[in-house]
Amino acid sequence: MVKQHFSPQLTWEVRANCRPRYARGRRRSFLCFRWGRYAAIPAIASLRWYTNAIPLILVLTVRGLKDLATDLARRKSDSQINSRASDVLDSKSFCTVQWKDLCVGDVVRIHKDQPVPADLLLLCSSEEYSLCYVETADIDGETNLKYKQALSITHNELTSEPSEKSLADFDGVVWCERPNNRLYAFRGHLRWRGEDHVLNNDHVLLRGTVLRNTLVAYGLMIYAGADTKILRSCGKLRVKSTHVDRLLNKMVIGIFAFVLLTSLLMAVGHGAFEGQVSRFVPALSALTVNGDPVYSAFLTFWSYVIVLNPLIPMALYISFDVIHVLHSLFINWDVEMRWEKKDSPARARNTSLNEQLGQVGHLLSDKTGTLTQNHLLFRQCCIAGRVYGDASISVEETQQMDLSWNPFASGQLSMWAPELVQLLRARQCPIVSEFFTALALCHTVMPEQSKGALLYKASSPDEEALVGAARDLGWVFHSRRRDNLTVLELGVTREYQLLATLEFTSQRRRMSILVRDPEGGLKLYCKGADMVVLERLQAGCPCLESTERALESFAQTCLRTLCVAVRCVPEELWDCWSEVLTDAATMATGERDAVLEALYGAMESQLLLLGATAIEDRLQEGVPETIALLREAGLKIWVLTGDKTETAVNIGYFSKLLDPDTRLLGGQELREVLRSADPGYSASSSRQGDAWCVNMKTARAKTALVISGPELAEFVQEPGTGAKLIGLAAQCQSVLCCRVTPGQKADVVTLIRKHSRSITMAIGDGANDVNMIKTAHIGVGIAGVEGGQAVQNADFSLAQFRFLQRLLLVHGRWSYRRITFFVLFFIHKTCNFALVNIWFGFFNGFSAQSMYENWFIAMYTSLYTSIPIQLYAFFEQDVSAESSLRSPGLYRPGPLDRLFNPLTIAAMLAQTLFSSLVLFFIPYGVFQDSPLGYQTLAVTVSMADIFCVDAELLLLTRHWTAFNAVFLCIAFGFFFIVSRITQQPRLFQLAPADYFFVGVSENAFADPLVWLTALLAGVTAALPALFVFVFNVLLSGPDTHRVHSLAGPRPVELRSKVRRIDSGRRPSGVASRVSSSKGAAAPASGGPPHHPHPHPHHPHRLPLLEDKPTVDGAGVELSVPFIGRRLLPAIGK
Amino acid sequence: MMASGYNAKEEDGHHSGAPGNGGAGAVKSKKPDNTAFKQQRLPAWQPILTAGTVLPAFFVIGLIFIPIGIGLFVTSNNIKEFEIDYTGIEASSPCYNCAQNYSWNSTSSCTCKVPFTLEQPFESNVFMYYGLSNFYQNHRRYVKSRDDSQLNGDLTSLKSPSKECDPYRTSDGLPIAPCGAIANSLFNDTLELYHLSNGTRTAVVLMKKGIAWWTDKHVKFRNPGGNDNLTLAFQGTSKPVNWKTPVFELDPNDPDNNGFINEDFIVWMRTAALPTFRKLYRIIQKKVDAPTLASGKYELEVSYNYPVRSFDGRKRVILSTISWMGGKNPFLGIAYITVGSVCFFLAVVLLIIHHKYDNRCSSADIPN
Repeated sequence: MVKQHFSPQLTWEVRANCRPRYARGRRRSFLCFRWGRYAAIPAIASLRWYTNAIPLILVLTVRGLKDLATDLARRKSDSQINSRASDVLDSKSFCTVQWKDLCVGDVVRIHKDQPVPADLLLLCSSEEYSLCYVETADIDGETNLKYKQALSITHNELTSEPSEKSLADFDGVVWCERPNNRLYAFRGHLRWRGEDHVLNNDHVLLRGTVLRNTLVAYGLMIYAGADTKILRSCGKLRVKSTHVDRLLNKMVIGIFAFVLLTSLLMAVGHGAFEGQVSRFVPALSALTVNGDPVYSAFLTFWSYVIVLNPLIPMALYISFDVIHVLHSLFINWDVEMRWEKKDSPARARNTSLNEQLGQVGHLLSDKTGTLTQNHLLFRQCCIAGRVYGDASISVEETQQMDLSWNPFASGQLSMWAPELVQLLRARQCPIVSEFFTALALCHTVMPEQSKGALLYKASSPDEEALVGAARDLGWVFHSRRRDNLTVLELGVTREYQLLATLEFTSQRRRMSILVRDPEGGLKLYCKGADMVVLERLQAGCPCLESTERALESFAQTCLRTLCVAVRCVPEELWDCWSEVLTDAATMATGERDAVLEALYGAMESQLLLLGATAIEDRLQEGVPETIALLREAGLKIWVLTGDKTETAVNIGYFSKLLDPDTRLLGGQELREVLRSADPGYSASSSRQGDAWCVNMKTARAKTALVISGPELAEFVQEPGTGAKLIGLAAQCQSVLCCRVTPGQKADVVTLIRKHSRSITMAIGDGANDVNMIKTAHIGVGIAGVEGGQAVQNADFSLAQFRFLQRLLLVHGRWSYRRITFFVLFFIHKTCNFALVNIWFGFFNGFSAQSMYENWFIAMYTSLYTSIPIQLYAFFEQDVSAESSLRSPGLYRPGPLDRLFNPLTIAAMLAQTLFSSLVLFFIPYGVFQDSPLGYQTLAVTVSMADIFCVDAELLLLTRHWTAFNAVFLCIAFGFFFIVSRITQQPRLFQLAPADYFFVGVSENAFADPLVWLTALLAGVTAALPALFVFVFNVLLSGPDTHRVHSLAGPRPVELRSKVRRIDSGRRPSGVASRVSSSKGAAAPASGGPPHHPHPHPHHPHRLPLLEDKPTVDGAGVELSVPFIGRRLLPAIGK
Repeated sequence: MMASGYNAKEEDGHHSGAPGNGGAGAVKSKKPDNTAFKQQRLPAWQPILTAGTVLPAFFVIGLIFIPIGIGLFVTSNNIKEFEIDYTGIEASSPCYNCAQNYSWNSTSSCTCKVPFTLEQPFESNVFMYYGLSNFYQNHRRYVKSRDDSQLNGDLTSLKSPSKECDPYRTSDGLPIAPCGAIANSLFNDTLELYHLSNGTRTAVVLMKKGIAWWTDKHVKFRNPGGNDNLTLAFQGTSKPVNWKTPVFELDPNDPDNNGFINEDFIVWMRTAALPTFRKLYRIIQKKVDAPTLASGKYELEVSYNYPVRSFDGRKRVILSTISWMGGKNPFLGIAYITVGSVCFFLAVVLLIIHHKYDNRCSSADIPN
């Protein structure tokens, strides 16, 4: 009825206070064994049922238990969320119900600091104008408060009377879009009392947000459960599997096909044998099944499938899981990846990706909060051309100024400028006072009184830092009301009437505030990016040149800069301006924007420059070293940030992502390079192409790409460009993507995954990184300050970016080596064990007679050989952790997949073929025409098998812990002990059919011929392994020797020392680089509010000023000889 | 051989900056245990491998294997072995007639005498084997075709043998004892050895006991209801179809060698590894004063019962002295020598590679 008045898309109808019939979106968990993984492995009958059933049952039990455990955990967390309490209006009064019992159409009450349970239409709140503030950290990672405002109609009508009564009577109908995943858009109408009211995003509280600074808010549930925007947008959970996993699965399928094919061939052989040979042997002819060779062959096919079944490495899957879990535990346990400050260890949340940590080729990192601490410090300022403070002195070394005269000082100001304080206190210089008044007024910060202290809730950390600095220096922003701002200037309360806020947008890159000061004058305070502000100054502005110089020097030190300016506005200008502004408010959206733009532009002109601020966004500890190390390890690092290009580029230089002489390629030039047919060479046609194409190779290695969000969208859209971009990026040093949305971050990952074979790892800390984290092969969440969405969706969580080096270079590298060698060896040992049956088949009429005793088959994979190789996979360290970190080059084989690729598999299979031939034919030679029977042969070949496998294990293991040694001996001994046990008389008498090898080992082990045969066969079968081993030592000799000697008694401290070099200083030359690259990326300039800062922020967190000794010359010198050339660049110039 | 570095990493202290407040126990820290295991710092021995330590490996294997091979080869060569093929394929062969005429169904025995000459005397104990070739005793369905419970004296199995024995499970409605194809195809040639000297023909004493494994004789094979009165014990069973005598008449004179525990039977039941095999038949015990088998003329008297002509099989009798390594086995010695030599060869190849590489490597490394 009402519907047809509106857009046809608005089909979601919500009736207030009317319990509807919408299905509830409760999540359900399923117990589901992951059969898919075993698709390749059918349950097959056995030689004796236990021979193959034991491993199969073990596999299924272990996997089932593991999945059950994860499922229970998930169910528990689901029910925890489902049972959170919420107040819901139940005819006249509010009562508390669990979240799962909430329905669309309910009116709910949310108290301060409560999470919003569903997507709500804000009806009213306890604040003026029904404003309410929400924190959206879980949705977009931004920690600033956003305000939402109820419709004035609902505000007026619902807050006038006692709220329960009026809310209960509320019977509006909301028409809106069907549930969707667009977090930032909402379209709908509220029809109430015969009137339609347009609803937009400002009227909606999303699930996942938290109510702040607002006592109580009332809302109407629009979308619940799985329909909420956040759940709609969090995408499907992808089951991640690794390269090794996939190749292994392929291999198992291949092996399976091989088993079938071989069985078929053997069956054909058997048919021929039955027809040609067996027919004439009186003892055998009667045994041909039904007297029909073909039917006999058919049965033999299945017999061979069973006999060759051990080829299929079933036990591998259990071991694989166990190893993965232990490797993950090692990550969890690692004290060196634990952040002492927050007592926050690393966590492997996904336990099946370990070896992939050793193969990462692309690292995609978020910037804010991941590379940086997202803790901004006011370090310097330039007022009237004079610079105060010195950012070249690190934060730790900066002396604290005596600010005891100021009761509001937080004591966290990291700036040393006593002369500035003097000027301020003496009020000698009006321009200085004006500067700080501007800082104290021109922002959107919300002050909050809490326990006597003044807290600032800022929409961006930059603003918080600026207002905080003004407060510390005596210009205390005290309170904000709808139309006035109170500032305590050196103890004197001054009220400014707020006339207009010219808000920040990323196009304007500035914000202004128009106030009437207590004296009655009209003033416009403006702050913004230097380029924007400087072009709006009045002519003949003093100190312009010196301020520009200061800005440049700020940029050199990698500070974020903002220019501050003021304008005295004539009364008549204001009158006419405000009139136009009021008119504009009623205009249609598109038109209004243009008018406002012009209007704001008119007001923000004729400015008088006050000065500039410099804020340090400090890198996390160890970031430059980590990035340098990872780059040396061959990783391509992409930084994806929502920040401005300038900031990103600066951080790039600062974090060693870009070298001082790195050339930036971006904007139009990049586009041209990509458009050209061959991005390799046609760059010469571009403007600056001369130097660029002369030395293409080296040029590329020294080039970084800078891509902005819109450009990126363009490249992703355009067919063919994506591949070129990835190809180009592969040759370049690193890539910076700026101004990208969360969706684009994921697009970049998808692009890389599509166009390169390398493993991608995404690291981020905010909810805006979730997409990227989920899309990448490996997602890492930074959990340092506060766990959030990123960690929830990540495969690994770290407290600090720097732990990445240990995660990748140590744990990843080890895992990769351990697991690949483990898999290869495991398959090798099962295959050379099982292939013997085929060779034996040639001498027993292809009759599928097994070469081994049943018990040996059952024990071989599980007991005799699996423990030592498993321990290998637990403990092996080809080089120590310290050496891995010191020689990042050792990581390179991983991304190239050098250890586990079709070639290594082929080599392994060739070796297996050789071993199995030797294992059969040496005993064959000995047993030919001898009185020793089949059973003795079986024991001899088993023994040879054990000798061979153990010899190869001896060669494989390079890191002998006590466990390795002991269990190898035990496993070796077990063969003899278990053989004796299963072949002893008592068991035979219990079950003659199961223990028919009675007495064989007793006699065989007493026969020197058996021993000599087994020894020769075992050693000969292991010769290729020995050859490869010696060959490797000879070839890699010098290298490993170097690494090993490094690993020796050298100072282990080195890494941590290097890590602690303070990152506060810039290598010289960056500035010129930055300014010369203006085309692509302008020099760093200030970041006004509103760009995403995906980091929860605690205003009262102590700055990270603790003991951070810088490396003095001696320390570096001491270390340099041992790190050689490799690390010198990392230490710095 | 190998230089090694003992790389025991102590439970390192410098990470655990703050003294553990585990004693207080009040605050549960997420701090992981700083144990060697959890920190992957278990003390470990990491051999330092250089060309110097690994290259000798091949030489060592060669050095060990070649002497072993030579020893085995010499031992094997010292073993005297004499082989007589009495299959009777060639018309000239004494057993030609028997071989031509004989089949499983024949009722009467065919005897043939094969003369031979030992050039050298055989000292010490001499083992007498019979050898068969092309006889697939390791065929799966053949190997399976037995009932170990029945052979172990189980009375139930005696009356109802396992299905594995089919088609030699029952005969004329009676259960076959011993059932199965292996038992049915028991080698039943009788071999006698005569020494011909000075015109006299003296039988060589052949021991028919002590040829089976002790475990087989005493554990694996047992007569149902003890060794007494086997006729009664096997009542209600049928003899295997190819057999001429029932199982309790395999050696009627010696109750300890009769029925299932007849050693010829036991030896046959231990199936061979490969299609060409030999089985111990008799032992000729050494004499105190004279060689066990003096050089000279001998005659092998075969009662030819076992047909092999249909599958081109060969029947042989082998007389062999024995050593610690059993009978003659030249293969193993040669194999050892071969593998040892290959190792030596590889060692030399690697040494050359090493020298070449080392030169290149050091020349490339030093300028840097």
